[in-house]
Amino acid sequence: MLGFGADRLRADMNRLLALLFHQGVLDEQFLQLQQLQDETSPNFVSEVVTIYFRESEKLLTNLRELLSDRDFSDYKKMGIHLNHFMGSSSSIGAKRVKNVCVAFRAASEQNNRLGCFRALELLEHEYCYLKNKLHEFLQMEQQRIMGAGARYPIQN
Amino acid sequence: MELELELEFQSSTTTSGVHQQSKSSSTPTTSYEFPVGLRVLVVDDDTTCLRILEHMLRKCAYHVTTCCQATVALNLLRERKGCFDVVISDVHMPDMDGFKLLELVGLEMDLPVIMMSADGRTSAVMRGIKHGACDYLIKPVRLEELKNIWQHVVRKKWTGSRDPEQSGSMEETDRLKRAGDDIDNASSANEGTDGSWKVQKKRKDAKEEDDEGDLDNDDPSTCKKPRVVWSVELHQQFVTAVNQLGIDKAVPKRILELMNVPGLTRENVASHLQKFRLYLKRLSGVAQQQSGFSNVYYGHGESNAKVGSLSGLDIQALAASGQIPPQTLAAIHDEVFGRPTSSLVLPVMDKSVLLQASLQRANCISVEHGVSFGQPIIKCHSNISKRFPSSSISVEDIPSRLGTWPNNFSTVGSSKNLGESNSESNNMVTKILQQQKRHQSALPDSSHTINVQPSCVVVPSQSRSNFHAGNIAAPPNQSSAFSSSSLVDYSYLSSQSNNFSVGIGQVPDAGLKVTGVLDGYSVPGSISSVSSYSGLTDSVSSWQVQNSITKLQGSDMCSLSGTYTSKRGALPNQEPDRNLGFVGKGSSLPSRFAMDDFELPMSNLSHGKAYRNNDRGVKQELNFDFIENGMPVIRQFSPSDVMGVLSK
Repeated sequence: MLGFGADRLRADMNRLLALLFHQGVLDEQFLQLQQLQDETSPNFVSEVVTIYFRESEKLLTNLRELLSDRDFSDYKKMGIHLNHFMGSSSSIGAKRVKNVCVAFRAASEQNNRLGCFRALELLEHEYCYLKNKLHEFLQMEQQRIMGAGARYPIQN
Repeated sequence: MELELELEFQSSTTTSGVHQQSKSSSTPTTSYEFPVGLRVLVVDDDTTCLRILEHMLRKCAYHVTTCCQATVALNLLRERKGCFDVVISDVHMPDMDGFKLLELVGLEMDLPVIMMSADGRTSAVMRGIKHGACDYLIKPVRLEELKNIWQHVVRKKWTGSRDPEQSGSMEETDRLKRAGDDIDNASSANEGTDGSWKVQKKRKDAKEEDDEGDLDNDDPSTCKKPRVVWSVELHQQFVTAVNQLGIDKAVPKRILELMNVPGLTRENVASHLQKFRLYLKRLSGVAQQQSGFSNVYYGHGESNAKVGSLSGLDIQALAASGQIPPQTLAAIHDEVFGRPTSSLVLPVMDKSVLLQASLQRANCISVEHGVSFGQPIIKCHSNISKRFPSSSISVEDIPSRLGTWPNNFSTVGSSKNLGESNSESNNMVTKILQQQKRHQSALPDSSHTINVQPSCVVVPSQSRSNFHAGNIAAPPNQSSAFSSSSLVDYSYLSSQSNNFSVGIGQVPDAGLKVTGVLDGYSVPGSISSVSSYSGLTDSVSSWQVQNSITKLQGSDMCSLSGTYTSKRGALPNQEPDRNLGFVGKGSSLPSRFAMDDFELPMSNLSHGKAYRNNDRGVKQELNFDFIENGMPVIRQFSPSDVMGVLSK
């Protein structure tokens, strides 16, 4: 029963990953992240992703604040935030988020406030999607790890 | 190993400064497990990246220290000098710009610093390079890239112990970049390079001067003194002072007085002046090289020698630097490689491209030509235009000339181009003629060149004549261009059929000469009437002879050097012979002359092997253009001009 569950879990995870790849939400950088996970850091992926979400949340808040400021003009700061966001997103393989960041940065460099707003909307949307999916994925991973750790009591 | 290294570091830093440290720290290279345990400091405010990087670096078996604040990292580096081999730093950090950190680390620790950023745009990367980063990683950073970073440590150590400059390879590239830059500057007409790039480049150069100065002050003897940072502004002041005094009379003391900057010592200025002089020398060296390139059009041998001095590696470096505008690069590339290989075809192509460039339309020259051989031409063009502001004139003139041929030489061959050129040409013809008359002295040369066309040497001589003419660049250009085309034309004609004779008949001097040359190569027997040529069984030798002759004809020959020049003396009398012999012979040319024969002479000129491949294609292409062009051109020189030359 447990073994069967583990297989199905693995299949689900693969399916989800395939979907995310197919949608362009993730790219191969995420795979590299998975490859980095080894005995010395069994939770590496989830750890990094958690950090990423925490950081991104901050960044999104900052961006939102910057943009909603009535006499906003600090596009440079926005660019720095976006660079940061781009860096971390690309590092975990969040491809679509990164792409939106690129568009966002382009808009901010043109001092295109409307464009920035739109990009921010899109960014938040993409981010939420990524977050949900990755959570789903990580949960499955967690289950899998737990399942792998569980053993039937040895029957005599 | 680490401990030992640390000890060495400490001792060396306390005793005699940074450079020794780097020398001693090269110990790890001798260790078989070298990259293992490389001490890396990672600075990034992005904790996600930091975490990933840390893990990746651990995977590479490096010794990783992470730090999410630049100031903290700097303190760490200062406190534990010699405890790190390489620093990886993000570009954008809230507390301190990554470049600032890079600068400080470079100055104080002389450690290799690798910058990284999600911003992979050229400008950003360029900034990193300008600030002396030894590498620039674009996020996402991959494991493969990190595996390799130890190379920067080794490189730094090796170059650091040899040369205070950032890195040998970089220095080399930079020099070459300067070369490219210089070429750009020299050819102001070259619009391919945008101004902003140049400005950037300049700044970079200035900046580099700073670095040199700074690092020089790192000398153990002076390291106690306050460091003088040769900022761009300071350097500008310096340059102004030098200019005011004149570079020859500029002495540190006077410069210092003129600059009037508190805290600056005579020694600082002296050191910087020395650097500056070196820099100027380098620049002038580059300029010479560049003029060498342009000289290709003066004298092939000469130019070859210079070009030869550029090693393939250099060019690669240039290319790698990516700072050279494609045109220039291609030009250089062609000069170095293309020239030697296809001495004959290239010049022709050059000219044609030149024409094309000036004409701004591909009427007379097929686009293909431009693509394949265009670059050198473009460059040439720019040079010419620079010297002769009236390049616009040439543009007009060329078409007109083209137009003329069709009229004169309907027999030569039908071509689509003819029609077009015709319409334009008529009004222009008169103008051209006038110009020609005015520049008769120059024209003879060009006509000669036409004759000699087969060899690239000839072309150079033409261009040279153009330069001599000086004021009126346009006519020479045209003539040269045409002449080259005409050469091809003839050869082609001969190879194809007897049409050639027709052309010859119409074209008094040039045509004859060309044919003569061709004959000598391809079928000695047929040229029996030409005594001088008959002797030359070897096609190669005949070519050379011809070339030399042509050069001789051109009074400007002095510029020519190398094989050609040497031959000059030997073959003074042949020219007339050739002409005479050929007058009657034109029709007799065997069709066999063909491509192969043609090729042989070319390759014999010792300009390269690659030529063969090109040859056919080129020739075929040329045929279309040049059949039409060649004849008319020659025609243009017309009896009076030609005769004048001959009589001379």
